[in-house]
Amino acid sequence: MKRIVILIALLAVIGGGWYAWREYNRTAGPTSELEAAEAIEAAALLQAYTADENAANARFNGKVLLVSGTVREVKAPENGLVDVVLETGDPLAGVVCQFAQADVPSALTAGAPARIKGISTGLLMDVVLQRCAIVE
Amino acid sequence: MTRNLLITAALLASLTASAQERYATRTGHISFHSDTPMEKIEAHNHKATSVFDATTGAIEMAVLMKGFEFEKALMQEHFNENYVESDKFPKATFKGKITGITAEDLKKPGSHAVTVEGDLTMHGVTKPVKATGTMGMEPTGAIRATSTFSIKPEDYNIAIPGMVRDNIAKEIAIKVEVDHTKM
Repeated sequence: MKRIVILIALLAVIGGGWYAWREYNRTAGPTSELEAAEAIEAAALLQAYTADENAANARFNGKVLLVSGTVREVKAPENGLVDVVLETGDPLAGVVCQFAQADVPSALTAGAPARIKGISTGLLMDVVLQRCAIVE
Repeated sequence: MTRNLLITAALLASLTASAQERYATRTGHISFHSDTPMEKIEAHNHKATSVFDATTGAIEMAVLMKGFEFEKALMQEHFNENYVESDKFPKATFKGKITGITAEDLKKPGSHAVTVEGDLTMHGVTKPVKATGTMGMEPTGAIRATSTFSIKPEDYNIAIPGMVRDNIAKEIAIKVEVDHTKM
């Protein structure tokens, strides 16, 4: 009986340690595999942030969004990252989707329609989405 | 008379506009680094905004706290939820002045030692910050500004739990690298 108790305790310690180690080393998974909390047009997303930034922060920040729109610009790579800017109707502000350079399809050019999943981080001059992925 | 006033106003406006040498970016790189014997932690944000007026030296920067990316997801979650409370305080801002450089210095390639001084607001707390750095025109034409300075989390009411106190440096190094282009 005593041996069984020791064995169970040992297994619990090993299991707990393994879980803690795995959790500690966990990296962010690909956004393409995450479920979007909300689907929204790029212009509507910018409008929501500019109309009431606090409400939009609470609604969108840190959440996976599926944003649709027309590509305004695909910027040159910088530090292994590429910004894809979606049209919003406001020439001074867009929805900027930050991609890892390897994740940007070559077919993505200005004027093309796009559906992009990304995590909203908030509004500066533009609405900024990070860890973006194209949705086919 | 009205016409003369309008022309004078237009001339003044155009003179003011031409006198301003403004530079800006939406892709500034800000990173922070904590180095202890227990653990090295760093996070990067490539979406800082910055506007610099070379005629006055005034600079304004802003960064979204949720935009800092860590290697480990758990660290990023703790940073946002427990330390900087980014739901409550989504942005950090800096408003200050750069001295040691003139608008003329930025018209030819080269790097100049500068001092930056101003107010850093983070986690709802505003504190004065003074740091040295460099600024100058890159061969690409971009106006590059760099600086490294340290802050103490406690100065910004950021509490570090006792359990991880040895894992996080008492002073966090902040690195700023910003390439401005002319507005």
